[in-house]
Amino acid sequence: MTLLEAVRALRRRAVSSAELTEFSLQRIAELNPTLNAMLTVIEDGAREQAKAADKELSRGVDRGPLHGIPIAVKDVFETCGVRTTCGSVIFLHHIPQRDAAVVERLAAAGAVLVGKAGMHELAYGITSNNPHFGAIHNPCNPEHIPGGSSGGSGAAVASEMVFMAMGSDTGGSIRIPASFCGTVGLKPTSGRVSRYGVMPLDFSLDHMGPLTRSVRDTAVTLQAIAGFDPRDETSSQEPVPNYLPEPRCSIRGLRIGLPQNFYFERLDPDVNIAVRRMAATAESLGACILPVRVPDIEALNAIGRVILLAEASALMEKYIGNRDQFGSDVVALFDQGRLLPATDYVNAQRLRRMMQREFAGLWAQVDCLFTPTTPMAAPRIGDKTVHLGEFVEDVRLAATRLVRGINVLGLPALSIPCGRDSQGLPVGLQIIGRPFDEALILRVAAALEDATL
Amino acid sequence: MKKWKKIAEAYDLRIPESDIERIAPSLDALESAFRPLTKNIPDDVEPAITFRVLPETDE
Repeated sequence: MTLLEAVRALRRRAVSSAELTEFSLQRIAELNPTLNAMLTVIEDGAREQAKAADKELSRGVDRGPLHGIPIAVKDVFETCGVRTTCGSVIFLHHIPQRDAAVVERLAAAGAVLVGKAGMHELAYGITSNNPHFGAIHNPCNPEHIPGGSSGGSGAAVASEMVFMAMGSDTGGSIRIPASFCGTVGLKPTSGRVSRYGVMPLDFSLDHMGPLTRSVRDTAVTLQAIAGFDPRDETSSQEPVPNYLPEPRCSIRGLRIGLPQNFYFERLDPDVNIAVRRMAATAESLGACILPVRVPDIEALNAIGRVILLAEASALMEKYIGNRDQFGSDVVALFDQGRLLPATDYVNAQRLRRMMQREFAGLWAQVDCLFTPTTPMAAPRIGDKTVHLGEFVEDVRLAATRLVRGINVLGLPALSIPCGRDSQGLPVGLQIIGRPFDEALILRVAAALEDATL
Repeated sequence: MKKWKKIAEAYDLRIPESDIERIAPSLDALESAFRPLTKNIPDDVEPAITFRVLPETDE
């Protein structure tokens, strides 16, 4: 059942919020021992919220599509009175005295918060193999990683523990788990969703967005959480449009760019086939598929790595003295950031400006881009490298190769399921749009979902 | 390639030698990809970091 199917059932009183919440809690009790997707379950609080939602709905008070719907948020979002660890022992006993802006907005929309989803330590990695709280497992095959860093969010949504889970994305951390777990995942434009109250990994690359089981579920969630927040300096005052695609929405005449360079190199052949099949579906719906050349994404990824290494190390410097409290992968990244000269960080931010200008020219040619989200389906837990044809690549670099640069540019990007590989694992299609054009990429994705489901 | 161990010592970063050996290949790869990019930045390109000064308001 999708979120919007639950909404329809709620409105016709075929089910209550209390029943949906009990189902959610039951599902967590059954599956979490295997998947380890949820770090904290808020049983009593969720039951109270559900009861209140039912009472309001019976009185005719309707807060919109999320009213009475069980959801989770990644454990990077501060929740007043509920432990928020960021997947780290440093924050093991951190009980915030405030809600993150997103949590506030979801509560105002009537959503029922059933728990905090597990994650890669400090959101600094893509395996979600957390040394302190244990590995999170992929619901499609528990021997495989769910991706990360929002791995618990992806696993919780894919296994139907919740209808929606919020994630954060600094270099692909929403889109990678969406791709590996077979869910929808949206990284909105920079400034579209407030970062207030989210424990930061990187000041200039962090983005907040939902993971769901359908495109329209993502659209209604974005509608609830988007908008200006004066508490976040980077928050945008750009008006919030209607994001929900119409039923049977059309993409006739839209120009979809299919990159001829970078994005289709070093791919698992199954991924290549699945993404191109989706492009053919879009074409059959009346869209124009245009071959395009994109700016130097290898360069963009290098720029993104310098910015992330420097900003994350600066942020965590006060904790780095006690190296034993971090996993070896995370401490290695902090060390790399500390060894970079300040001039490299400043120049990376200057190069970012240049790349932004260069990329802007692309939007005169196309309305959005289609690329694979990840070059391969979910690797096995513990795998350090992945074989892509004749190439052997570090799993972390491979998983982030097609998504990291989009954070540097701040563009909106959506991952939707587009098939399975030969092992039966999900493959993701990434749709990249113009700044603040989430409505268009959601419309394209909804049309594809309508045509393929 | 840069001598990462000596840089760490100069900055008194206290990174164990074995850990530096482990991260050196990643840093070398990043250096190779990033350093050439810095050669062609026009002088008038400012970093993409915002710092806004707001007028004082009476409250």
